[in-house]
Amino acid sequence: MKRLLVRAESCAGCRFCEMVCSFSHEGRFSPSLSRITVIKEDRFGFDYPIFCRLCESCPPADSCPSRALGRSPEGTLMLDEEACSGCGTCLKACPHTALKIGEASKPIFCDLCGGRPRCVERCPTGALSYEEVEEFDEKPIEALKRLMERWGIHA
Amino acid sequence: MPRFYGYAGRILRIDLTRERTKVQELEGDLARGFLGGRGLNSKRLYEEVSRHVDPLSPENKLMFSTGPLVGTMFPTASRFNVSAKSPLTGILGDSNAGGHFAAELKFAGYDQVIIEGRSRRPVYIFIDDDEVELRDGSHLSGKDVYEADEAIRREIGDRRIQIAVVGPAAENGVRYAGIYANLMRPAARTGMGTVMASKGVKALAVRGTGSVEVADPGRFEKLVEEVEDEIYSHEQYWPRRRMGTTRILMMANAMGFLPTRHYRSGVFEHAWEVSGERLADEYNVKTRGCFACTIPCSRFYVVRGGRFSGLYGEGPEYEAQGAFTARVGNGDLDLALKAIDMCNRLGLDALTTSECISWAMELYERGFLTREEADGLELSWGNGEAILTLIEKISRREGFGDVLADGSRAAAERLGRGMELTMQVKGLDLIMADPRGLKGFGLGFAVASRGGDHLRSEPFIELSDDPRRGEEMFGIPEATMRLAYRGKGRLVSYFEDWCAVIDSLEVCKNIMENMEILPFERAAEVLEAATGMRMSPEEVRRCGERIVNLERAFNVREGITRRDDCLPRRFREEPLTGGASKGSIFEQEPMLEEYYRERGWNSETGIPERGTLERLGLKHVADELGLPRENPGSEREPKAFKGAGRGRIVCATS
Repeated sequence: MKRLLVRAESCAGCRFCEMVCSFSHEGRFSPSLSRITVIKEDRFGFDYPIFCRLCESCPPADSCPSRALGRSPEGTLMLDEEACSGCGTCLKACPHTALKIGEASKPIFCDLCGGRPRCVERCPTGALSYEEVEEFDEKPIEALKRLMERWGIHA
Repeated sequence: MPRFYGYAGRILRIDLTRERTKVQELEGDLARGFLGGRGLNSKRLYEEVSRHVDPLSPENKLMFSTGPLVGTMFPTASRFNVSAKSPLTGILGDSNAGGHFAAELKFAGYDQVIIEGRSRRPVYIFIDDDEVELRDGSHLSGKDVYEADEAIRREIGDRRIQIAVVGPAAENGVRYAGIYANLMRPAARTGMGTVMASKGVKALAVRGTGSVEVADPGRFEKLVEEVEDEIYSHEQYWPRRRMGTTRILMMANAMGFLPTRHYRSGVFEHAWEVSGERLADEYNVKTRGCFACTIPCSRFYVVRGGRFSGLYGEGPEYEAQGAFTARVGNGDLDLALKAIDMCNRLGLDALTTSECISWAMELYERGFLTREEADGLELSWGNGEAILTLIEKISRREGFGDVLADGSRAAAERLGRGMELTMQVKGLDLIMADPRGLKGFGLGFAVASRGGDHLRSEPFIELSDDPRRGEEMFGIPEATMRLAYRGKGRLVSYFEDWCAVIDSLEVCKNIMENMEILPFERAAEVLEAATGMRMSPEEVRRCGERIVNLERAFNVREGITRRDDCLPRRFREEPLTGGASKGSIFEQEPMLEEYYRERGWNSETGIPERGTLERLGLKHVADELGLPRENPGSEREPKAFKGAGRGRIVCATS
């Protein structure tokens, strides 16, 4: 399946992706409305974008009391707006904290821009890519440890 | 529908004395006249901080401003200005920083935060969208920038907050302490951190979940894409991406204007060892970026080996890198990184700190300062122990560090010697460019509204040394030739107006001005697409001119005249000895004459003429300064200055 991937060593943490994402989905600029979120640790020069990983098994979908979350043929999550009660169970269930509550009190998440992810197109450093891979399950903390070891940072 | 596009449309006032906050609407005419950011701050400072205010008293006001493009995808729109009357210079104080703080403030819904009065208890301010809270800060006292930042994050329990914090140097009253965002993105110049600490405030923590809307989304997006393309295809893109501003050190050395051993030479024999190229090849592990920057040019480094093995951090930028290498005669890059890291953690302006140390080293070498007076330190060039010890002592105002803690000008006054050797203008210590090898930059130092600094004009085009550019922009080929004098008044006033616009839109000067990405024509288009405000390119430039004139008026009210627009004697009288600028001195008078003429300022007094101020819609300023209605030279003397400009012009530093 084609997925979004991140190379943590290339992400500069500029958050241009957040602006591109919120603007293309909502017509305005807001990190809170972006489907991609960069977490940052300035102490260690660490930046890491968070987004829906299209996991094989999806705890948010499985845990939704209203069964409002399904899958598209591309593997992205789909929300049945009618069915969704806005309870927020899905947010807590996601192991990648990739869902947010949007303006209508309903969850928002990456939809891969229908197959042409704009964050990938516009990332200034090429840290994001969209490619065919089995899975992508790296956790930010794992990436941080890996990089600190590689760079020789002992904290 | 918001009333404002681009802008948040709200101003936050925090009265620390009464522990009250108030939200006001952004005044539309201020947005139109002064754009935002630096312009908005300078305007409000002029109106609200009068001549008699002591910079460290509760009556001084500390202002943080974002700009109309911040919090959008406009590349590099990430900056904020912080302004107050400066405790270092006594005139307009102002500093600008990038990182991620400004965008957060904008998403919280504010264009400007004005901090007034003084808190009775140590506090930090937490702005959480509409909620503003003065939180107990007693446990943060004495903590360094990193420690305080981390403590606040843990206390609030949200790692997404953005924090601007002061270090122990500010709390100890060092007059050139900065305000640090993202740990290593300081608004460091003119002692804004000192003002913040004097109000009992350790930090501003911000969380914003709102959004920014633009007036014409389609047009705005198109302009952003144009700007992106131009940045990516620019010849400076890769050098900046790789080295950021540190790429300048080798250039400065090659052109012979790298200030070495306190401006005794423009060439440093160890330049390569401390260069941006070496940093990039041997130290840098990653690129980092300010908010919405498409270059991005910041770097994260790790020292791998030697005495400081394991040291890591973001940066440095050229000014700090040069300040702790060439300026103090140090050829050890690791040591410089350590010194800069200490300045960051303690919250000191690296430039003024290094000038104080470098000045003391020259005095020591000449026998004007004894080892005893310097607490037993051997102040020889490049002595790392002495440098690191002094940084520490300055931050604590201890021993000889106390002498240096008010800047070089005050140190010379206190010691009663060495005033001629202080490399400062109006009390602000100079940057890492020798004006003898860059005449336009030098003129900029002389007239800058915050004292001896390049960021008010930064005519970067001079580095091209290309007469064709001068011909095409100003009709004077010499204007863009770095060792020539003619046309510099026009060059500097143009670039000052431009920088004022850039600083007020709060985009990055490195990209938008140095790389010439945002000339007035495009700025007008972007401003209209973002805010809906329609302005011609000329009107946009006039905003810059208005800001420069108002800042000048603020300083005139504080007693500044032409006498103060003056570089240190060394540059005016001693030719550079080696390198590509060999034999050059700095003749300021002809350039100043041309500059005042270009500006419409009185060339005897350096005070804006009434006609100039009225043309810019600043009649009330002309009235307040008591400017005569007729031509200059009439019998009535302006209220704001006494006796200067009569007969021979005497320099303030001579």
